[in-house]
Amino acid sequence: MNQHTLRITAHNQPTVLERLLQVTRYRGFSVTGMTMFPSNEANLLDIELSVSSEHSIEHLNHQLSKLFDINDVVIDGKSSQRYSA
Amino acid sequence: MVSEKKETGGSVLFKVMQQHGVEHVFGYPGGAIMPIYDALYDSNVQHFLCRHEQGAAFSAVGYARASGKVGVCLATSGPGATNLITGLADALADSIPVVAITGQVPMVAMGSDAFQEVDIFGLSLACTKHSFQVRDVNDLAETLHQAFAIALEGRQGPVLVDIPKDIQTAEVEYAVELASNLVKQKSASSANVDAALTLLSQAKSPVLYVGGGVGMAGAVPELREFMSTTKIPSVATLKGLGAVDPDDEFYLGMLGMHGTKAANIAVQQSDLLIAVGARFDDRVTGKLAEFAPNAKVIHLEIDQAEISKRRFADAPILGDLKTNLPALTMSLDINSWQKHCSAMKHDFAWDYNHPGETIFAPAVLKEVSDLMPKSTVVTTDVGQHQMWAAQHMSFNDPSEFLTSGSMGTMGFGVPAAIGAQISRPKDTVIAVSGDGSFMMNVQELSTIKRFQLPVKIVLIDNEKLGMVRQWQDLFFDGRLSETDLADNPDFVMLANAFDIKAKQITKKEEVSQAIEEMLAHQGPYLLQVKIDAADNVWPLVPPNTANHQMMENR
Repeated sequence: MNQHTLRITAHNQPTVLERLLQVTRYRGFSVTGMTMFPSNEANLLDIELSVSSEHSIEHLNHQLSKLFDINDVVIDGKSSQRYSA
Repeated sequence: MVSEKKETGGSVLFKVMQQHGVEHVFGYPGGAIMPIYDALYDSNVQHFLCRHEQGAAFSAVGYARASGKVGVCLATSGPGATNLITGLADALADSIPVVAITGQVPMVAMGSDAFQEVDIFGLSLACTKHSFQVRDVNDLAETLHQAFAIALEGRQGPVLVDIPKDIQTAEVEYAVELASNLVKQKSASSANVDAALTLLSQAKSPVLYVGGGVGMAGAVPELREFMSTTKIPSVATLKGLGAVDPDDEFYLGMLGMHGTKAANIAVQQSDLLIAVGARFDDRVTGKLAEFAPNAKVIHLEIDQAEISKRRFADAPILGDLKTNLPALTMSLDINSWQKHCSAMKHDFAWDYNHPGETIFAPAVLKEVSDLMPKSTVVTTDVGQHQMWAAQHMSFNDPSEFLTSGSMGTMGFGVPAAIGAQISRPKDTVIAVSGDGSFMMNVQELSTIKRFQLPVKIVLIDNEKLGMVRQWQDLFFDGRLSETDLADNPDFVMLANAFDIKAKQITKKEEVSQAIEEMLAHQGPYLLQVKIDAADNVWPLVPPNTANHQMMENR
């Protein structure tokens, strides 16, 4: 399993979290951690999403980046690749 | 000059629609959308009452696909809204621009399990490109402008706007203004043209793999220009049919599970695939690990998420096909490969030999295709008749063949034909259906009657759920579980009940005259074609098998 953290900037719309989690689940990623707080900019959210999956994180990055309420997705550079026993 | 006056939310909806060129909408009224239907009463937008919200959604899809415009459907809250879901899922899977408007219970009642309340906003997440719920009438116009823009932007798709009843009745200062720009354009572009040109110039056995994205991008002329210069052998997906000139010397037909033998073998032998607006769907690739095993891939795509999703792209080209196809146009030195493909096309041509008196559906559909006027729009349902139509009919544009490709939705054909006929009143529209699928939206015959639409229906009837029956015979030891439909209604009598002229044929000798009679008839017509229940769709690539290892009826 690969473990990754995504740093996401999103519009603070009513369904943005549901959308984010729906796409994450549907594309085959498990959420292992999540924090969210209002950004300094008006009506934006900063979200840190940790996920694990056998799939490429680029795959999730592209699918999340397509969402209209999501402004920016950055894959955390410190992500490590691990294999479960 | 900007005019400002008081409007209701309902009337703002139709004003915005008219700004986006919407002339026709499909829908079904109900409690929570009554203020919108009241505003419709004073609007110039023409409404087509369907007899089920799923019919309205598929008519909007058919309208969009036949015309290239956004299809619009309306439904009330609760069951009205949930009945749209299948149509929205279909539109998302086939990338069709649709705007769905749903009524919602008043805001004060939302979240209280009110009568006909369902969280359609939540339900829409997995089956729309984007969705909105309007909570302030001052946001309504801007939200609707965004909905139309998002439906058409980049890879097209369905957008739902849920409007509570009190927003529909609320008064608002409405200023006519130009449609706002999107918050952001989601479609990016990046092209590695040099790498692609190098791959093209080095290829000895390239194949052009044409998908539905070509038609969606309006890039049929650019594709044909590319083909006339390169003279490259080509194959098409189900949704790509019509993009390639069907008379092109090196066009090998559809690839994939029910593709032609020539198309599948050429792809398996190729050293370069140029995928254009296609996404390596499982019905196209068969066993992915053995698909086109020696080919490098140039992938022209509008959606970044499709690039290297299922097959690595050596040269990805992201962006508008209308710009990127001309950038790759060059002459190729592939003479012996062209000859090989032509020989396969000839050697593996369709065989219409079918002993006995019973009618052979592929031959009927070929004859319909040969006799139908230019620019005819054909829709299908899902199953054996769909694959026979894809194999044996010819189309000059992707907007002439409307089929539920990705979602494979039975019940698509008749309502999609209704939408197509309304968008193209002068063109012939033929729905090819099967006796299983036809019954799934049979209530829409009433829509045909109500608007006197001259839709022709070719009903291929084997008294079976034929495709499932075929798989039960081939892969489930002939255990025919729940696929017998021998108790179907009398389809001629059923059509007559909706004032639709109808005829049943059972023998080969009746076919030609029946097709001519159907095409010559001015109004709607149903031709019921009885076929042998044992007829199968060939070739067939079994599940988890490489495409060259197809089963054939030889």
